[in-house]
Amino acid sequence: MVDLVPPLRIILSVAVLSGCASLVPQTAELARNGLPPGLPASVELKQTPFFPQLEYQCGPAALATVLASAGAKTTPDDLVPQVYLPERKGSLQVEMLAAARRHGMVSYQLAPRFEDVLREIAAGTPVIVLQNLGWFSAGWHYAVAVGYDYDSGTLVLRSGTLERDVLPFAAHEALWKRSGYWAMVAVPPDRIPATAEEKSWLSALAALERAGDKRAARVAYRTFLDRWPDNLNARIGLANTHYALRELGDAEAVLRDAARDHPDSVVVLNNLAQTLSDLGRGEEALALIERARAAGGPFSAVIEKTYATIVERLGREGGGVDRLK
Amino acid sequence: MKSVWARMLCRLLMVLMVWSPMQLAQAGLIGTDRSVVVEFLDRAEVARELQSLGVDLAAAKDRVAAMTDQEVQEIAGRIQAVPAGASDAATIIIILLIAAAVWWIWFRR
Repeated sequence: MVDLVPPLRIILSVAVLSGCASLVPQTAELARNGLPPGLPASVELKQTPFFPQLEYQCGPAALATVLASAGAKTTPDDLVPQVYLPERKGSLQVEMLAAARRHGMVSYQLAPRFEDVLREIAAGTPVIVLQNLGWFSAGWHYAVAVGYDYDSGTLVLRSGTLERDVLPFAAHEALWKRSGYWAMVAVPPDRIPATAEEKSWLSALAALERAGDKRAARVAYRTFLDRWPDNLNARIGLANTHYALRELGDAEAVLRDAARDHPDSVVVLNNLAQTLSDLGRGEEALALIERARAAGGPFSAVIEKTYATIVERLGREGGGVDRLK
Repeated sequence: MKSVWARMLCRLLMVLMVWSPMQLAQAGLIGTDRSVVVEFLDRAEVARELQSLGVDLAAAKDRVAAMTDQEVQEIAGRIQAVPAGASDAATIIIILLIAAAVWWIWFRR
């Protein structure tokens, strides 16, 4: 009897709030299948800070909540100029993801699964969710999920001016579903979210690298490679952050390893050649870039440029090119 | 005629402003984020759209710089159409009261 009560409650709330379980399919699934394996029945991240939102500014408030929770020193006021759009009185999803990177965090859009939100919370990571509260027109709203209780089927959120907003799973799903189940986390670069998938997590790191925080990106790539040591693109990314930070010896070491495991990668050959040329080892560089040129492929324009640079530098060093040709 | 040239010059300057810090980054290396090649103008376009929605130029430039090529493409020309989390506090409280009331009536009575 006791075991039956929680799913029953969830199913009832599904029926009440939507009239039909298919309108909140994920809640129905959670009720049907029971607590997903490995998850505690109840979690609440009570330490998560609370920034009550000012008018329309749920974006900065929600983002500040997860960034501060990840260890960044920031407030909603700091984030207004980074994510808020005055004329739209709101914040775009893309900018929520982008702004987190400016604080040295890796932002990651979760797969559109309720279970993943629960998994992140259970792993200690608060999750930003985008709900649509509007009945007749769009009423987009960011809130931060910080806890859940499976037995009562409720989610705890920092939302608007409410520090502890307790919503039934079904109510939350009905509001959340309308954003295509959009959810994101932001974590320090030495962590990997509980639900991160190799490929999408790597894209998140490439985005951090691109956005400019090379030191954070370097840490993040190392952490990635501890988990997935064979990933070639992560090795290239790590080497590129070393290169950008002018740690050429480290860049070389990473690329040498990559070249040993992936001798046919023209990207590795090109980047290693460039690095060696910068280190003043033009002849080694030339040998490598010749191999990349012979292979051809979609990067031949860049490879030709690298080749030209190497040849030019060797020429400046005193007739080396003629000798090598 | 003059205004056409002025506009073109502005656009060109904006492209250069938005792009120069990134262009300096890594000459000669092939990066990991190479799935999509974004036209220069997409970034300038997004910066201009942010500006038209009340963000000042320097801030708009920084905001675009934090986006990936894919993100830029996702919103270029669509900033008015994509969702913007915006609800004011009053709406949120009303919605939550309704949800809480339903919950209370069905499960706590």
